[in-house]
Formats: sequence, C-alpha cells, structure tokens
Amino acid sequence: MQVESLTIKNFGPFKDAVMKDIPTMAVFVGANGSGKSSLFSVFGFLRDCLVHNVKYALINKGGFNEAVSRGTIGPISFEIKFREGGAEPLATYSLSIALDNGVPAVVKEQLKYRRGQRGQPWKFLDFKLGEGEAVINEDDYGKPAAQMKRDWHKLESKDILAIKGLGQFEKFKVVASFRKLIENWHVSDFHISDARPSQEAGVAEHLSTRGDNLPLVARHMYENYRPLFNKMLEKMKKRVPGIQNVQAVSTEDGRMVLKFHDGSFKNPFMARYVSDGTIKMFAYLLLLHDPKPYPLLCVEEPENQLYPQLLEELTEEFRDYARRGGQVFVSTHSPEFLNSIKLEEIYWLSKKAGYTEIKKASESELLKNLVQEGDLPGTLWKQGLFEGVDPK
Amino acid sequence: MTKLVLMVEEKSASVFLETVLPKIAPRLNYVLITHEGKKDLENSLPRKLRAWREPNVSFLVLRDKDSEDCIQLKQRLLKICRDTGRKDTIVRIAVHCLESWLLGDLNAVASAYNNPSTSTLSSRAKFRNPDNLANANDEIIKIVPEYQKVSGARSIAPFMNLSANRSYSFNIFVKAIQQFAVRNYCA
Repeated sequence: MQVESLTIKNFGPFKDAVMKDIPTMAVFVGANGSGKSSLFSVFGFLRDCLVHNVKYALINKGGFNEAVSRGTIGPISFEIKFREGGAEPLATYSLSIALDNGVPAVVKEQLKYRRGQRGQPWKFLDFKLGEGEAVINEDDYGKPAAQMKRDWHKLESKDILAIKGLGQFEKFKVVASFRKLIENWHVSDFHISDARPSQEAGVAEHLSTRGDNLPLVARHMYENYRPLFNKMLEKMKKRVPGIQNVQAVSTEDGRMVLKFHDGSFKNPFMARYVSDGTIKMFAYLLLLHDPKPYPLLCVEEPENQLYPQLLEELTEEFRDYARRGGQVFVSTHSPEFLNSIKLEEIYWLSKKAGYTEIKKASESELLKNLVQEGDLPGTLWKQGLFEGVDPK
Repeated sequence: MTKLVLMVEEKSASVFLETVLPKIAPRLNYVLITHEGKKDLENSLPRKLRAWREPNVSFLVLRDKDSEDCIQLKQRLLKICRDTGRKDTIVRIAVHCLESWLLGDLNAVASAYNNPSTSTLSSRAKFRNPDNLANANDEIIKIVPEYQKVSGARSIAPFMNLSANRSYSFNIFVKAIQQFAVRNYCA
C-alpha cells in the first residue's frame, strides 16, 4: 500500500497544495510554522472522519471555520491516489467537506480506479450529502465487456463516510486497504520524559505516539521476537558507548521499567538515569524494527538528542521500514539527516502569501545538477538553494 | 535580465549583502549562497559553476582575505573559475574581512548601536584605511563589546552609506555590482 499523490485544498495552511510522485520514504523540511505538522495532521483528520464522523473530526480542529483555510469558504477537499501494490491499479479517493445549511456535511466522496494506463476508470463509489451509488460487482472489473452494476444507497447521516457506512465495502479489496491505511497510520512524536518512568504492567505491541509504553514494547519484543530484539541490542551496543544490555524488568509493585547495563559497572541503571539520546535511540530501534509496520508512519524530527554521526544509519533503517511495507514520512531540521536522503525523497514546505506550498526537490533542474556534481542535499538546503524555504 | 549568483563564505556576509545589495542596485536579480567557512566555499565553487546551466547567469565570489596574500588568493579563485569554463566570474576579496567594511563606516556603527561617540573615532589614523587593520574583528569589539558577527552585520548594514566608506576593498566590491547592474540594465 502506497500513497502516490496527495492534494489538499482549503485545509489549514493548505489552500491548494499538491504532492506528486510520493516515494515510499518522504522527508519534509521547512521553517518553523511552514506546515510540516499540519501536513501530518491531514491523516489524523481523515482518521477522525472515518472512525467517527466529519462533525467530530471538525470539532477536534476547533470547528469548520477554524479548519478551513483563512480567507476561503471551502470546501475542504482531499484527493489521495494510492496503489495496493506495484501491479495493482492506481485508485483515487476524493473527499470534500462543506457546510450544508450551517452543518458540516460530506459534499463529495468518490472512489475510482482503472486497470492499466488506458480506458475509463470505474467510479466505484460516488456519494454526496448522505446518498449515492456504489458498484456491486467489483470482481468483474477488468473482465472483457464487463458492465458496472450499481446500487443506490442512503447513509445514516450526511456527515459519515460511505467507505465506513456501507458494510458491503468490506469485501472490496481497495476500500479495505484504504481504510486500513487511514485507520492505522501512526505519528511518532517521541517525548523522552514520557518514556523514562516506569509503566503500569500490560501488553503493548507498538510504540505509542509519545513513547510512554516503551518498557512494555521492549518486553513484548524480547518475549515474542527474540532474534529481532538481539539484533537491535547489537546495534545499540555499537551506537551508544558502554551499553551492554537493555532489559524490561517488572518491579515489585507490578510496574515495568527499563534497565540499561553499562559494561563497566555491575549494577544496571534505571531508565530515569540514562541519557536522553540513549533512550531515544532505543525507542527508534524498537519503532523501526516493529515486525508489523504501520501502513504509514509519520515521524517528527527524529534527529533531536542524537549524535549526528548516527543519523545516516537511522535513515537507512527508516528506508528499510518503508521497504518492509510501511510508507514513511519524516520531518526534519537536520542537514546531516538530509545529507543521507535522496533528492527524490525530499519535499520542502514554504509559505507564500500566507498559504503553504509543497515543492519536490528533484523537480529542480539546478538541484539535480548540483547533486550530480557531488553536493549533498542537506548542504544545498543549508546554502539556501531550496528556493523560498528559509525564513527571511 | 541576467541573474547574479553571489557565493559567500558565511552567514554574516549574506545577512550583510541582503540589505546592502538592494541599496547598490535596486533591481538586481540575485541569489545568495551561504557557505560554512572559506574552505567550504572553495570546495563548493567548482560544483556550482559546473552545475548551474540556466542561461543568463553570472557569478560573483566574495571571500575574506584573512591572513592570505590578496593577489595569490584572487588568482587561485579565478583559476577555479577558468577551469570550469566560467572565466567571466567576478572575484572580490574583503580585506581583511567583513568587519573591515563595517569599520569603514563608523557613522553606521554609531547609529546601529546608538553610540554617537563612536563616529568621532573616524579621525583616528588607524580607521582612515580599515583595510590595513589585520584584526578588524577585535577592533570592532573594542568599540562595541556586544558586537557579534551575524547580529552585528544585521544591525549595521541598514545604516551603511555606500558613497562614504573608507574601505578600499568595499568600494571596489560596490563598483563591481554597479558595473554589473549597468551592463545588465538593472541599475
């Protein structure tokens, strides 16, 4: 499952922003306030729309008038082009939200796709204001002389998504995988202070957004994926001087805590006495070695607290995660991090007349030539050659 | 209109030029490339000259002289430009460094730091030709203890009087920009 393009209109700082040819790993740079976090929040908003409803999603954003771009009246629109796998057809999901007599409603929801490069795409789903048509013979698509068969449906209300409201779509592969993407995307905004203390004992398979279940995930990996855990530990030893072992240990009062063993000392250190960088590196190794990658993982500024020399290998681990099936979006302020990223993987965000523009680095002829001459992307960014990216 | 790509060795120089260039030639179409020191500038120079294939582009390289020999330094930089087929590149050296240019206009320093007594220093012999000062950076700190490279350039640049600077290297830099602007109709 891969998102290949994303268009956002009238949402937050994005009046009309387009990202095309998105690779499996995409890295975003931009000044403070240029819209990097807002970009990630698009997926959170879509999840709220899907899992709850449009009204709920908007309340989380402070209401329609707060969510819609300043100076516009909407509709808030998203268009996501995605593919289940390399050979699968490119599918397009579009969603538009506007006020209907003062009440937020879905004014357009469509899902279409076509096989191959030619031919009319099939509109599998076409809804507005709580009613519309859906194809009932998805399996026939692509068969010679197949004709679409449609059914008319009415949803429970105007503010829920048809991909959720219609149970029958569960058997549609494309809808199911799109729902999986939106429901299971994950943002990692790791906070060391949350990860340090002991945790209520329990089970956690994935690292939480702020990383506060770190000891539980470590225990889960240790018990269920021992070879992977050992591989992680080996990396830890190489990257953090002195570290010999990391253990998730139960305390007497039924909590779980991480302990770090330093080769020079007999007794291990409790997580609360270990350096920020050590904890962060361990958390990233856990996150990126997750045996069940998220369909889309967004990470905010992974470079914080880490020794610059370690960033190159970290970028390789992000790319590896992406290769194993999860698409990765990373925001960064680190030239060192960017130096090990390919130009095709880089986007930069800048504000123009109050709205965010998204540019793809590899679309610049000059940047491509400079990289060919031996300049590194992070260096070019620092030299001010990503046009419009620097605050003035 | 021909674009001028200015390659400078550090942030303070680009902060300074962002204010000063529009004063020299208001319609100048330019791009500033900021490096991390002179070594970085020299390594990057041939790559930029080769990779920039957009038509109607000229380059200007600005480097501090520091402790090097001015003529030799200029020759070395010009050779890099010739070797990459950009022999029209303008090379200018700040003698000895950006602070020499700032000291060339003590009225600007006085206005920037709101310290009128500073301008009276201009009668002193050593400030009559600031390019002769080997330690302009120390000298400026003696006058303005709170001076720091980037914030200093940012505060002083807006007050610079382009026609009354005592630094020879500054004046020939200004002249180069003016001539470029005239040649390319952006004066």
